[in-house]
Amino acid sequence: MATVRGCNIPEDRFYWVEKHAWAILEADGLVKIGITDVAQNLAKGIVNATPKEAGRPVKKGKSAGTLESGKWVGPVTSPVTGEIVEVNAAMTSNPSLINSDPYGEGWFVKVKPENWDAESAELLTGEAAIAAYQKFMEEQNLNFE
Amino acid sequence: MSKKIRLLYMENVSPLRSQTVYHAVGYAMTKETPNTIIMVSPNAPYVCVGYHQDIQKEVDLDYCTQHNLPVYRREVGGGAVFLDNGQLFTQWIFHKEDLPVTLEERFKLYIDPLVATYQELGIPANLRPINDVHVNGKKIGGTGAAQMGIAEILVGSLMYTFDKKTMSQVLKVPSEKMRDKIFESLEAYMTTMSEQLGSTPDRVMVKDLYMKKVSEAFGAEVYEGEWTAKEEAMAKEIDERFVSDEWLHQKGQLKQQAGVKIHQDVHIVEAAFKAQGGLIRIIARLREGRIDDVTISGDFTLLPVFALGALEQSLRGVAATPENLKSKIEEAYYRLNIQSPGVTPADFTTAIMNAINPPQAA
Repeated sequence: MATVRGCNIPEDRFYWVEKHAWAILEADGLVKIGITDVAQNLAKGIVNATPKEAGRPVKKGKSAGTLESGKWVGPVTSPVTGEIVEVNAAMTSNPSLINSDPYGEGWFVKVKPENWDAESAELLTGEAAIAAYQKFMEEQNLNFE
Repeated sequence: MSKKIRLLYMENVSPLRSQTVYHAVGYAMTKETPNTIIMVSPNAPYVCVGYHQDIQKEVDLDYCTQHNLPVYRREVGGGAVFLDNGQLFTQWIFHKEDLPVTLEERFKLYIDPLVATYQELGIPANLRPINDVHVNGKKIGGTGAAQMGIAEILVGSLMYTFDKKTMSQVLKVPSEKMRDKIFESLEAYMTTMSEQLGSTPDRVMVKDLYMKKVSEAFGAEVYEGEWTAKEEAMAKEIDERFVSDEWLHQKGQLKQQAGVKIHQDVHIVEAAFKAQGGLIRIIARLREGRIDDVTISGDFTLLPVFALGALEQSLRGVAATPENLKSKIEEAYYRLNIQSPGVTPADFTTAIMNAINPPQAA
């Protein structure tokens, strides 16, 4: 897994760098989404996570739910359009999973995507994502090493 | 940043509007909206709860009803707070790219003009990182941050006065002793401009001074502007949402914090522990990881009669770890020849530690 200035950026995820969101297509055709390691480092200890309920539609660029850390409240921006089909119950009962494992146990919701092929093409993955995060963190003088 | 900053100065708006106004400007923000600072105060007292709090658990709603105090939920985190005309809220609604990306730097940028304003008034305020403003170890206002739409929000206040008594009344607490301790701690660890200066400074002068300090911090003009029809329409929409039962009574899932936070370094915690010889109740105030003050009560027997007060006294200033507490309590037992059938120093230690780190419910 690639690391950029102390933050993990797994190559297999699709990123919306500006929104600090990631997505990955699973074998069952659903897309799992979450926030990046950079985002959890910036937000610090998450004390509350409130995803929108399963069954609700979500649009790319709109909120899939809310996070609260000790110092900040804000939305989790969905990188895909579709219907929320599952929320991560383990994460909502223990929101610190977002801090400890943002790409694994700390995933946010699963979405049944409307058009993954087109929308994923607008996200960055692999080397391009790593380069984009490198640039972002250098510009912002961020380092979590 | 050389862009002009719009100031909306709104003294004496309704309690509801004093909260919804910054949400409205945030959600109505477009790329063309100027960075905006709202200075607003309510014309009547109210209670404001954090985004994810459960108001049934946090607020004494009967007290609020009896005293005509409305309760509103904000989309900013943190705890329940009593607010009135004694605070001038300073709400920033900024474009993301005009603020630092880290919260430490963002809060510093936000707090520096507050601190500079207080200092020019003769109050030795300083930033207590990450996001408190302190005067000689006392808090003179807290701050919070949120994202709403494309806007990044920072909120806080200039504190002319603060009604500590009512603040302690509006919280739902497990005992009146705990309430007394909260009031006593607010008296000890919170301060205001009136307390610091002996009188309340002129509000327009304070507003002008703050505008000047913001202007200096950004190297940008701060001009008094008006809000737009679109922003006002958005405020009406949010007014409706904020008074809806669905919004107000949404079940917050915020994990119960241990006790009540007075400021960054000071917390009040409470617990009961059943020892073989009786129930031990603890109310403790923690300051920077040490016992600042502790009250021990219960239905156990402890002799000699003066020893309980001496035991409490001996724990002041002790680092709040089980080893330190137990050794201090054992030392007091030895020194005072304490007898307490069925209650041991280890039980007191457990009771205090349960208050500090509540055992996880199964």
